[in-house]
Order: sequence, then C-alpha cells, then structure tokens
Amino acid sequence: MDDIVFYTVEITQSIIDGVLFGSTYSLIGIGFTLIFGAMHKLNMTYAAASLAGAYIGLVFFTLFDAPAMLVFLAAIVGSAGIGLIVYYICFRYIPVENHLAALMASVGALFFIDEIVIHATNASPLTFPALFDDVMLELGPFGIRGDLLFVFAVSLISMAALWYLLYRTRLGLATRAVSQQGIAAQLCGIDVHRTNGATFVVAGMLGGVAGSMIGASVGILSPLLTLPITIKGLIVTVIGGLGSIPGAIVAGFLVGALENIFLFVRGVNERDMYIMLLLFVFLVFRPHGIFSRRAERD
Amino acid sequence: MRRSRLSISLLAGAAVVIGTLVVAKSAIASERVVHLAGWGAKSGPLRSFGVNSEAVLKAAIKSVNDAGGIKMGDGAMAKISLDYYDSACNAEQGIAVARKVASETGALVGMGPTCSGVAAAMFGIFQKKVGDAGDSGLQFPILTDTAVRNGLAKISQWTFRNTPNEPDMYDKLFAWLRKTHPDAKTMYGGTETDQGHSKGTYAKVILQAAKRHGFTWVGDGIPELGTKIAVGWKEALDKSSNWLLADTNFSVQARAFKRAKADMLVVSAHPFTTCGMLKELKRQRIKPKILVGLTSSSSDETLKGCAKQAEGMIIPTSFAPINDTAMMVAKLAQKEGGSADLHSAAAWENIIIIKQVIEEQGIMGKPETLKTDREKMRAGLANLETTAGLLGQVKRVQEEGEALKPFVFVQAMAGEWKVVHDPR
Repeated sequence: MDDIVFYTVEITQSIIDGVLFGSTYSLIGIGFTLIFGAMHKLNMTYAAASLAGAYIGLVFFTLFDAPAMLVFLAAIVGSAGIGLIVYYICFRYIPVENHLAALMASVGALFFIDEIVIHATNASPLTFPALFDDVMLELGPFGIRGDLLFVFAVSLISMAALWYLLYRTRLGLATRAVSQQGIAAQLCGIDVHRTNGATFVVAGMLGGVAGSMIGASVGILSPLLTLPITIKGLIVTVIGGLGSIPGAIVAGFLVGALENIFLFVRGVNERDMYIMLLLFVFLVFRPHGIFSRRAERD
Repeated sequence: MRRSRLSISLLAGAAVVIGTLVVAKSAIASERVVHLAGWGAKSGPLRSFGVNSEAVLKAAIKSVNDAGGIKMGDGAMAKISLDYYDSACNAEQGIAVARKVASETGALVGMGPTCSGVAAAMFGIFQKKVGDAGDSGLQFPILTDTAVRNGLAKISQWTFRNTPNEPDMYDKLFAWLRKTHPDAKTMYGGTETDQGHSKGTYAKVILQAAKRHGFTWVGDGIPELGTKIAVGWKEALDKSSNWLLADTNFSVQARAFKRAKADMLVVSAHPFTTCGMLKELKRQRIKPKILVGLTSSSSDETLKGCAKQAEGMIIPTSFAPINDTAMMVAKLAQKEGGSADLHSAAAWENIIIIKQVIEEQGIMGKPETLKTDREKMRAGLANLETTAGLLGQVKRVQEEGEALKPFVFVQAMAGEWKVVHDPR
C-alpha cells in the first residue's frame, strides 16, 4: 500500500514538474513549426538563436545589473534580431526549391552561433536571473516550483499572443496565406519575402521568451544547452506534427512529462531512449503528428 | 651636385638600415628556441579548460624567458616558444593534433589534452614500451596537465601526467571528515553518467573512500560496495540518482536526494550540472550536514554559476592561492585571460618540469637533434622522483607515469573557495 502511495505521489510530481518545464519545449517546438509552416523549411538555428538571445539579455544583467523583466525583454529583442539575420543569410537568397541548401545553411549557422557564444563566454556557466525561484508552493505531498509556474504562465501568455497575432491581425492573415499557397498570396498583393522575414522575427521573439525562460528555470545559461534543446524542439515539432502549433504545444507538455516519468522509473541512462522510441512510434503510426488525420503511406 | 650628394646620402642610409636588419635577423636566427606544443579544448562547451591551460602556459613561459631562458646541453641559452592547438573535447581531433605535432612540428614535448576521454584514446596511439621495434606508435613525450581520470598515463611509456591523484585526495578528505563530523554516518549521491571523469571518480574512487572511513550508503546500503578502488561500482551507480552533462531539469534526482535523508551528499559533476543540481537541492530545501563535490568543480566556473547554492560544498584541490608563488601564478593567469585552478595550475608546474629536464639531460634543442632530444626528454621525465609543485613537492609514481601532488581541502564560502584544511 505504501509503495502504491509512494509511486502515485512521485509520478504525479514528475508529471507536474515535467509539464511545467515542458512549456519551454513547447515554445521551441512552436518556433520550429511556425517557420516550417510558413516556408516548408526547417530552421535548425532556432534553439541556438533563442539561447543566444538569452545571452544578449544576460549582458544587461551582468553589465548593468538590470532587473529580470528587462533581461527577458532584451532577450526577446535580441533573439528577434538574430532571427531576421538568419532569415537573410540562410533562407532569403537560397532558391525556394533547394530545401537541402537552406537546411545545411541553417545547420552551419547553428554551430556558428553556438561557437560565438562559446568564445564570448569561454563556455562558463553563467547565472541567469529568475523570478520566484525561492518560492515553493506546497500542496500536500506535492511541491510546485514558483519559478517553473512563472515560466509556465509566461509560456501560455506567449502562446496566446501568438494565436492572436496569427488569427486576429493582418500580419497573421498574410503569414497563413503565404504558408497555405505562396503564389496565390503573392497574386493577392502580399509581399512574400517581407511576410517570411516578419515570421522569422515573430518566431525569434518567441524564441527569446523560450531562451530566457529556459535560463530562468535552469538558473544558469551554458552553451551545453544548445544541442539538447535543439533536439527536444525537433522531437516536439515532429510529435506535434510539422506545421501544427496546437500539436507543438501539447507535444512539449507530453515530452516534458514523459521524460520525467522515464527518468523516475528507468533512470537517466534509459530516459532518452524511450523519448526516441516515442518519436519513432509517432513517425511510424502517426507521421503527421498528434492532431493529424489518417496519414497516407508509401 | 647637390642632387648626387643627396642620392649618396640616401643610398648610405639605406645600406645602414639593410645592414642593421641583416645583423638583427642573423642574431634572431642564431638565438636557440625550444618549441613546445600544447593542446586542449579551445572550442565547444569545455572551452574554459583550454583557455585556462593556455593562459597559464603562456604566463609560465614568459616568466622563464624573462629570467633568461633555459640552459641547453652546449651551454647556450634558449627561449621557449609555444604553439597551442584546439583538440576540443573530441578524441579524433586529439589524435589528429598529436599526430601532427609529433610528425610535422619541431616540438620537443606535448602538453594536453583537456578531456580524459580524449587522453585515453590519444595515449593509445603512442608506442606502448620504449624501444619496442614491433610497435610503430608515436614516439613523442607527453606531459598532461588537465585530463584527470584515474590511471591513464600507464597506457604508454611516452605519456606522463602531472594531474591530481584523486584516490589519495578523497581518501584523506573522508578521513578528515570522519574526524570533524563524527555524527555523520550515512551518504547518498549522484553523478553525470556520460562523463568518464565524473562517473569514474564517483563510482570507483569517492564512494569506496567514503566507505573506508565509516560512511555507509543510506537504507540497506550497497553490500557489493567495497573499500578498495572500483569494488562494487556498478551497483553503486545503479543505486545513485544520476543525470547527464547537458541536463536541465534535476527535480527527480533532487527528490531522490531528499528522500535519502543522508548526512552526507556527493555531487560528482562538472560546474554546469553541479550548479543545476545544487540549485534544485536548494529549491527543495535539502541541507545535508556535509556536501562533497568533484575536484573539477573547485573552480571559478562553479562560483560564476552558483556561488550562493554552492555555499558549504567541500572539495579537495591541488591548487589554491595559499602561498606567494601560487598567488603570483593566479594573478599572471588572469593577466593572460584565464584563471588558475587545479587543472590549469599544473601547466605552470609542467613548464618548470620541462626546464628542469632539459637542463639535466643536456638537451640541445636543434632541428638535427630533435629525435634524440625527444628521447632524452622522455627518459628525463621517467627518471624524475620529485618535482617542484605550487603547493609543495610533487612525488612521481613512475611505474604509472603519474604524480602524487600535495593538496588542500577548500569550501565554498561567501563566493570564494576558502581553504578549510591543509593536510600537507
């Protein structure tokens, strides 16, 4: 009986922590999926640019002892700027049909951005400001971290803001038009390049939120974060369905929660194996993601 | 007439300038230079280790050169030059650099690499036994400053290390902790399982040393865990709560630490995840009587990342600025853009060792004597019984090519590493 109570409490706690932290995976996944939805191309730099944005915010914290909210804001602006640069370097002038060239350009940019951060910081872990990091809400046997709750709330607000932008503004209408039928959108007078550039900026802003929320929830920033966050973002994007924003949101929570459950039940050496297995299961049985209809097969 | 005088003056001036340049060039050419090569992680997430080693090497070389240089076998004085290569933390890159330095440069000796995994792979391409005609491995002496995993230098007779001896350090640490904390009985811990040094030292060295001095694993314990190095390491790892180097969420592991209610917690990891784990322990309000860390975390990186949360953590280290020379090295390293810690400070000692061996072995430092000079350097390194360390005399364990370095125990206090015990 004690064992059942123990496992129930621990697994529930693992799910709570996982879902809260998984909201950052959702944000990264949304960024990947937003750009894929608009251009049908994968921007591999996305997580690196998000974390680089967080490092830009950290400059304000280190040099001017800026408050956390200003640091987050600087991260959002920085990441949006990096997003625009990445668009011009890796996508704008590469022929539309050459998907591999754009993919490889963005892979190159990923490592380039990462090395810039490494050289600028000597790869030292640096303290990143967090809000409510000393708050722990205790509900019976469960504990909820105040900083993770804040991260979760900010992530939800960002997702709501993105939804508003996509479905209630002219830019959102243009973005959706370009993503659905680029040529038709162009014939309707929409500037496709400008819209794509704006999509990179919006995705970059979201990345800035993600980068700073990852920094805030971990409490430190390190270039070590780039590759795992990139991989998690891609997994979330695929499980959620490429191009599906609701899918990325749910997949982020799902991956965060399952990761913690596998860690608790099977240990760290097997945890990632099960997440990869989950990805494999989705690719085989539900290749278009969580909210897809029946997929056609070869 | 005036014009021709001007021309003659100009020509004479030019001749004087050219003459001076030629004389200066020949003087430079005749100045003996001992070429050294270093390599470590200058790119990738462990860049700080390479930066620190290079900074200390440069500071040490500058100090030797400023003092007149090295006396060579024929009595001539030579200056030291250094080429530092980036081997990242990548075994293939480390092997490629070692091959290049040994075959394409005039380097007398190599110093590096950063990562134990790279060292283990790289040392494997060196000739195992000196003079073995059937072994065509590299015949080039290496003196390592950073890669610290236990027992690597014995892979080849050409490879030597001046790195801390962790079994000795942790044995003395737990002996001291036993005396100072007689009420502390139980222990629990975890490590980064994808990092050879963190994992190996935790499961094969730290836990056995702790058990040797009367600390027992919480609950039913680990019956297989012995008091000798590596005994019961697999079972100990299974019972620990572990993570990976790039992990970001430590809530599950910290809850396991909390449940354990151990008197002593061991966090055997590099600075990034040490900080991640310590922050989570603090959030979950876990306060052990004793908190022990990995040698590699007794660095500036840990304090930059989580000075507040590291408060109280105790680590044995072979470097601390506790005497005039060590303080000077720390300052000079900073001037060169790095910091001196237990890994990089060994680079200073290595330059002093190399100078000593060159002078004792009568090494010539000429291109035509390179092969002989390398053999003499290896023989000289193998013959050393003691060397001068920053914290005192370093004993050489020559059957293994390793060092027994003096060390102290430091504790994180108010954003600094303070020496809490000096067992020298």
